[in-house]
Amino acid sequence: MFDTIARYLKSLFLLELLGGLAVTGRYLFRHKLTIQYPEAHTPLSPRFRGLHALRRYPNGEERCIACKLCEAVCPALAITIESDQREDGTRRTTRYEIDLFKCIYCGACEESCPVDSIVETSAFEYTFERFGEHIMTKSDLLKHGDQYEQRIRADRAADARYR
Amino acid sequence: MLNIQINGVDVQVKHGTAIIDAAAESGIVIPRFCYHKKLSTVASCRMCLVEVEKMPKAMPACATPVAEGMKIHTKSPKALNAQRGVLEFLLINHPLDCPVCDQGGDCPLQEASLGFGGGVSHYDFDKRVLHNPDFGPLVATDMMRCILCTRCIRFSREIAGVDDISTAGRGENIRIASQTGHPLTSELSGNLIDLCPVGALTSKPARFTGRPWEYQHRSALGPHDSFGSHLQLDVRGTKVMRVVARECEEINETWLSDRDRFSYQGLYSADRLTTPRIREKGIWREVDWSTALEFVANGLQQVRKTHGAPALGALVAPTATLEESYLIQKLIRTAGSPHIDHRLRQRDFSDQAHDPVFPWLGGAITALEQKTAFLVVGSYLRKEHPLVNHRLRKAVLRGAHAMFLDAVDRAYNYPTSVSMVVPPSAWERSLLAVAKAAHAITGRAIPTGLDALWESIECEAIHRTTAEHLVNAASAVLLLGNVAHAHPRFGALRNLANAVAELTGASVGYLPEGAGTVGAWLTGCVPHRGPGGKTVTVGQDWHTMVTGGVKGLLILGAELERDCADPSAALKGLHQAAFVVSLSPWVSPAQEAYAHALLPIAPYAETSGTYLNLEGRWQSFQGVVAPLGETRPAWKVLRVLGNLMDLSGFDYFSSDQVLAEAREAIGEVTPNNAMPCVVPAAISSETPALERFGEVPPYAQDALVRRASALQATPDGRVPIAARMHSATLAGCGLIEGAQVSVRQGEGVVRLPIIVDDRVAKGCVFVPSASVETAALGPVVGGAVTVVAV
Repeated sequence: MFDTIARYLKSLFLLELLGGLAVTGRYLFRHKLTIQYPEAHTPLSPRFRGLHALRRYPNGEERCIACKLCEAVCPALAITIESDQREDGTRRTTRYEIDLFKCIYCGACEESCPVDSIVETSAFEYTFERFGEHIMTKSDLLKHGDQYEQRIRADRAADARYR
Repeated sequence: MLNIQINGVDVQVKHGTAIIDAAAESGIVIPRFCYHKKLSTVASCRMCLVEVEKMPKAMPACATPVAEGMKIHTKSPKALNAQRGVLEFLLINHPLDCPVCDQGGDCPLQEASLGFGGGVSHYDFDKRVLHNPDFGPLVATDMMRCILCTRCIRFSREIAGVDDISTAGRGENIRIASQTGHPLTSELSGNLIDLCPVGALTSKPARFTGRPWEYQHRSALGPHDSFGSHLQLDVRGTKVMRVVARECEEINETWLSDRDRFSYQGLYSADRLTTPRIREKGIWREVDWSTALEFVANGLQQVRKTHGAPALGALVAPTATLEESYLIQKLIRTAGSPHIDHRLRQRDFSDQAHDPVFPWLGGAITALEQKTAFLVVGSYLRKEHPLVNHRLRKAVLRGAHAMFLDAVDRAYNYPTSVSMVVPPSAWERSLLAVAKAAHAITGRAIPTGLDALWESIECEAIHRTTAEHLVNAASAVLLLGNVAHAHPRFGALRNLANAVAELTGASVGYLPEGAGTVGAWLTGCVPHRGPGGKTVTVGQDWHTMVTGGVKGLLILGAELERDCADPSAALKGLHQAAFVVSLSPWVSPAQEAYAHALLPIAPYAETSGTYLNLEGRWQSFQGVVAPLGETRPAWKVLRVLGNLMDLSGFDYFSSDQVLAEAREAIGEVTPNNAMPCVVPAAISSETPALERFGEVPPYAQDALVRRASALQATPDGRVPIAARMHSATLAGCGLIEGAQVSVRQGEGVVRLPIIVDDRVAKGCVFVPSASVETAALGPVVGGAVTVVAV
């Protein structure tokens, strides 16, 4: 009997609706968490592991020495390297390819690199329009390196304390 | 046996064993750099220090022989501390460039550092900087990495027998240096790569192309000489990346000849034939296998129809496997022709009825070390059969007498007792003189007719010395090499060698030329013998075949413009043949000119098969990489060809089946070189004023090694195409060094520069064979030549 009266009064005064609207009203004036991607970006950790790049030294020389440790450590077997002696007698890759469909972005390649050549940049916005584009060739990777060098260096500097 | 204790475990070891070997027998690894079981012990790296109870200091395990009751600790704090200290010391000057070092991943120093090293160095001064000496096109040097174990020096001196590298400087400035300043000349120099425990000496052809962990290790056999060396082919994907030695104490010990080690480069040469080609109306076109095989089968059938079955013939290169040899002789003989031959570098077949079932070494390879005298007839042994020479070198170092009958005074890596340097036409007379001198010493029964022959022969001191050494030896052998086989009177030469053997009590051994030679003999790839030496209708030898005997020719693996004893006659004959099929892994311009069909067959790493080595040992191997392109193993090609020609008995599913059938056909064969000495009716009376001597240069022996670019860049590979003559001969002709001359032999004329070489016998003109430039000349050994200035 008493229950029926209480339910009646509740629905008469729209208490639940108001309760719900109160939540909405509270959040209406709170600080907003939603980011308007792509106009705005979420902050990224300097350790973010995105698109791969091959870096160069400041004098323009490629860092990679074809030691093949990244190829050996890669758990997804995404890296393919062929190497040979360059004309100046140094050890260099003649082929360096990463299959981004195989890659699991674990960052093991970056950790294994003795010369900080292969890195995973914070770039993650990339698409492939045709099959085959997912294989990053050596020139693609070097291009990424040139393109993102500022960011790569800043990320490395920010994380240097913990390395 | 001595009772000792290693790490608390009682073991029994032989008297005189070093601790390092005693520990190895119990499965205990002691780290080492300078110690190698085949080299002398110097104990210079100190890495193998172990604790021995009652000895005040840690002892080097490699140089400490065990003693009764010795108690050894290899893992005690004292031993480990000593090892850690030594390693830190060795690493003082070692660069941290493992990522670019070819040894990385396969490096005893890396492993020892991981297992026994400290991890932190107390040394923070500048490291030593060294200049890298040029060791030639085979061995790359990086002396910064050297830890001065001196294995390379000991190998060069003790095994290779050349003194071209040594240490230079003292104290901190000590370094490994080339004594001569020239590239290494040893035919075994590639072993330095295997021996070097760090990355100081690495393979130049394989430099920077791969990492040890990427390789699959596959077994193979040396495809060049008949030694049957065990190889390990390191394969990545479908490519052979490098070759290293596989240990086999009875054959190659731990060594390899450079030829076996570096010839793999030829597998990937630009002129590799990867698609079948046929020539119709003079135009070559690439076709698929079924078209090509039908074209070949039709062509051969056509010849058979027009000229009769005996118009077919086959020539087999001495690199063919036993299966290939067996199948091709079966194909030709089933097709109704007796003409098959593999003795392409032999010219005299007059005595072939007396051939042994298969010419072999005459004993085990290891037995060579026990010889006390040997006479090598017609062979630059050191380059032709490097590891036979190595075994004989061991015998010489034990006091054996090394004697040579050759047309060039060769540089051997051991002292020679006798070196008879005479033109090939005088070899018979030399052997006869040795026989006569031997008879004078031993008084043994003279083979019938021999005394009549030697009546007019004068014995010189050199012949008497040779005879004495052979007679006095406890175990002596006469070895007939490649040039002897190419001699224009090989039959007589061999019988005279038999006569010398009979009169001195020595034995006769043959040095078969190629890896497949013994197999080809046994499977009946000779016109006068069937499989296992059975009697068959005698066919024509290769020379008669190509000079007009046959109309349809199958050539297996040979490039006749280089791979035969008379290239000019061969080329002329081939151009006149009605139908020539070349089964070859490579294509040469000459093949394109004479062949009507080119079928790409798989070379040694890409096919399975069996090789018999010079001691008659059967060794089978598997293909280790997929055949390149459309290439197919030759046994499959021959099988299909047999089917297409409607011949019965060509239904095989694997090379093992072929092998089983061949084995059955050969049956039990006892090798025996001791054939009756048939004294030749007369010895050669021909003594031309100038005669040709044209051995095959060391790295021109077969199609594969000719395409190995690094070997071709070595001094042995760059044999100058020139006429080399003794200065006295040159003066007699009124010529001067460097002049261009035209060398005429028979109908062939070649223009060559002259080089003075006093090692060449007087009256000889040394013009290398197996080269396209000299192919126009006639027979490669013997035969009058004229040299005229132009």
